[in-house]
Amino acid sequence: MAVTFPAPPVGCKLRGLVPKLNLGKALLLLVAGAITAAQAQTPASKPLSERVVAYEIDGRFDAQKMVLEGTETLTYHNLTGQPLDTFPFHLYLNAFQPTSTFMREVRRDSSDFEWKDKYSASIKIKSLEVVGFGDLTSQMRFIAPDDGNAEDRTVFEVKLPRTIAPGDSVQFKIAFVDHFGEVFARTGYKRDFIMGAQWFPKVGVWWHSKWNCHQFHSSTEFFADFGTFDVKLTLPQNEIVGASGEEISAVNNKDGTKTVTFRGEDIHDFAWTAQPGYRVVEDSFTGSMGPVRIRMLMQPGHMNSAPRYMQALKGTMDLFDRWYGPYPYKQITVVDPPHGGDRAGGMEYPQLFTGDTAWYLPKGLRLPEDVVEHEFAHQYWYGMVATNEFEEAWLDEGINSYTEGKIMTKLYGPHAFVDLAGGTIGMHDLERYQYRNAADKDPMSKAAYDYMSFSSYGNITYGKTATVLTTLEKVIGEDTMQRALRTYFERYRFKHPTGEDFLNTVEEVSGQNLRWYYDQAVFGTKVLDYEISRVRSDRVDWYRENPAKEEKGKTVYRSEVLVHRKGDFTFPLEVLIKFDDGEQVREHWDGQDRWVRYTYQKKAKVISAEVDPEHAIWLDKDFFNNSYAEEDIGKGARSKLVTYWMFFTQLLAQCLAWLV
Amino acid sequence: MWRHQRVLWWMFGTNLVLALFSAMPMASRVSKVAEHSLQSQRLVEGFDLAAFVELTSNPDVGFWSKTADSLWYSLIFFVFAMFLCGGILETYRTDRKLPTAEFFHACGMYFWRWARLCVFFLIVITPVCLLASGIYQWSDKLSEDAAPEMLGFWVEVVGMLLVVLLMMAVRLWFDMAQICAVAENERSMRRSLVNAFRLTRHNFGLLFWLYFRISALAWIALGATWWIWLRLPSPRIGTTFFLFEVLLAFWLGTRLWQRAAETLWYERYGEIHASELAGVEGTAARPGAWTAETLPASPLQ
Repeated sequence: MAVTFPAPPVGCKLRGLVPKLNLGKALLLLVAGAITAAQAQTPASKPLSERVVAYEIDGRFDAQKMVLEGTETLTYHNLTGQPLDTFPFHLYLNAFQPTSTFMREVRRDSSDFEWKDKYSASIKIKSLEVVGFGDLTSQMRFIAPDDGNAEDRTVFEVKLPRTIAPGDSVQFKIAFVDHFGEVFARTGYKRDFIMGAQWFPKVGVWWHSKWNCHQFHSSTEFFADFGTFDVKLTLPQNEIVGASGEEISAVNNKDGTKTVTFRGEDIHDFAWTAQPGYRVVEDSFTGSMGPVRIRMLMQPGHMNSAPRYMQALKGTMDLFDRWYGPYPYKQITVVDPPHGGDRAGGMEYPQLFTGDTAWYLPKGLRLPEDVVEHEFAHQYWYGMVATNEFEEAWLDEGINSYTEGKIMTKLYGPHAFVDLAGGTIGMHDLERYQYRNAADKDPMSKAAYDYMSFSSYGNITYGKTATVLTTLEKVIGEDTMQRALRTYFERYRFKHPTGEDFLNTVEEVSGQNLRWYYDQAVFGTKVLDYEISRVRSDRVDWYRENPAKEEKGKTVYRSEVLVHRKGDFTFPLEVLIKFDDGEQVREHWDGQDRWVRYTYQKKAKVISAEVDPEHAIWLDKDFFNNSYAEEDIGKGARSKLVTYWMFFTQLLAQCLAWLV
Repeated sequence: MWRHQRVLWWMFGTNLVLALFSAMPMASRVSKVAEHSLQSQRLVEGFDLAAFVELTSNPDVGFWSKTADSLWYSLIFFVFAMFLCGGILETYRTDRKLPTAEFFHACGMYFWRWARLCVFFLIVITPVCLLASGIYQWSDKLSEDAAPEMLGFWVEVVGMLLVVLLMMAVRLWFDMAQICAVAENERSMRRSLVNAFRLTRHNFGLLFWLYFRISALAWIALGATWWIWLRLPSPRIGTTFFLFEVLLAFWLGTRLWQRAAETLWYERYGEIHASELAGVEGTAARPGAWTAETLPASPLQ
């Protein structure tokens, strides 16, 4: 059933701002519109990316056995500038075996994890033929470039008898069989739901003069070359199917199956999903490159989340279009996984992503909105700006978390994540919370599979990166930061930029040398913590035996404010000092020394001092020591906590007393 | 119960004072960090959960590591409630204001009997707890695996309701055992339990309905408090405190009301039937059961 929703409130707000139209303006608009439309169509007619790969996959899915038999024809264009004779391939699905590196790492990070056979999944190569070289199945060799685990089967390589010259192409014909397991991470089934991700043999990326083809780790995601995907899926006729790219045709077969054909251009991965019970919700969004079809595949029990998904998606698409650049594809598919299958949720693929919700989620808990925002944003930071997620995960997850904070705050206000029963959490607070959990564990720049733990990977890659970038706004300004991201997107879309590319772009756009910040925040593990260590106002005539009675506005005080750098991270900051006569003094400190003392001689006492009064240095690990007020300003907070604590203790006591 | 409200206020006062003692060290530690910090305003104007987590995870506050304090003070209240129980039941039974010495004499006299009874209670309640755990696990599995998405949830709701009713029934039985023990100055708790079981079983519908109605009032009060609290402006801490304390006093009151009502029932009708049951158990058809003609007026009035 198709359902459409009205435009999100973002568009409604703009209605009142449209000026009145006259004939001259109308003509001008017509001409401008024609030019824009022509420009918008131009990129679609020619490749957006350097298409290194062309996949043609024909898969037959047995929904009873959860098995897919497929054939893949991969045409690889050697654009590396050098001859190639060895090609590595990912077989991601083999990660779901108890002896794989992936599962070893899962067990390492959660010792209570128990392997269950239902998680077992695999991909087997039945044959591998290289056009012009014949059957090379016997030449396949599993390799483990990251940890040497001989039992890991997630990467194999094949050596060709002859080299492929620069500029030439080579064609691989691979027959394979997927056995899907119950979804453990991203891919697999749950009851009659199937998420077909990381399901086909995928060639590595020639990058920085060598093959980049890492094993599948518990904390890593993916990296692949752009190209085209022509995928035919044959599956039972009752299945409702969604996939990356766009649907070209659907033909019913006589045996009760149907064959659905998809084509994806200028993308670097292909995922699909099927379930008989999906409820289809359709709508569209018109951005600066024309209309985009929105197709949501919802669980029947989650239909109350559909408007929430849609509003978040359209709002995000609108802001991304205006802030960072256009979404050039014609379709986006949102997949809502079923209950119990949420391990497939919150994941991005080109032109398709999975959401995450539950029937009971109240509106004040914006998890569904946040997931939709985050995963759609990956269409930019991963989908188009295709960084290496194995080696520099902060570039996709981290930058994405940063923009997630910006967009969610813009769409839902300062308490964007939680605004429920009096309790609130803002997006930047959420990110900073993650950062504080692992502030000094690992640098952001570390390879994703090399973090201390999965928890450290998550907290640093998502939380710290977002916090580092939010704090960077303090240095270069919010508008400059937005321009930097737009420039980065425009310059590196459909490419594989590195961390240095991003950092250099920010420096270039801001016109500032930011290495002092990068060295500490990006490449280091230093912790930032400044505190107001002491505030004191003392009468200048303190030494007199019988001093005159204190009089406001007449008695002269010598006041001092001591600011202390507790952490190793140095950062320039401002200190706001307020006096009891209403005067405010703003001091600027380069933050280099361990401490700085400000002294004043005035006919007024200091009533408060605060480091970073605009609360822009989100990297500061402790906000509570950033200020000092003379009066007992914490009385209200203390009373509230005491009230809650007492209620809890009294209730617990009464429950215990019930036993007797 | 209301005639002997002194008991309620003493218990409530103790409950409050013990909680105050448990909160004082926490308040002092929070003060160290928040007293002069402008950041603490984020907990006053609304309740910023991020600021709360930051404050409570501060090593100088050590908030979570001190939650054990709360448990200790709750345990003290538990012992206090056990101690007071004999005096309370004696007060309800005699329906007069006991002199202090007599009240505490009753408290001391029954204390160890209640301790023994509490052990029996824990033994009886264990299968109910195991059932609760089983229902929880089952519903968890259903939430993951069953095709109807809400099945697990409803299994849990119905299951937990069943568990609550079972626990209420067990409590009813043990309360009756305490009343029997006080009424008959019974030293053997096993005998009290057996007598109370017979009595409760034969009048289960009436007694359970009695308990259920009072419990329902307590739960309605909890819901109403929640409703009001959500609508209170966040900085109204004094009003919040008052609201919470009214609820806690009401909860304590409903518990004492249950005891008083059951004692009253026993005094009016149960004693006769207890002796009847002891004499003729197994020979007559439910001799202790109320018939339409003999149905007593509700002790709730």
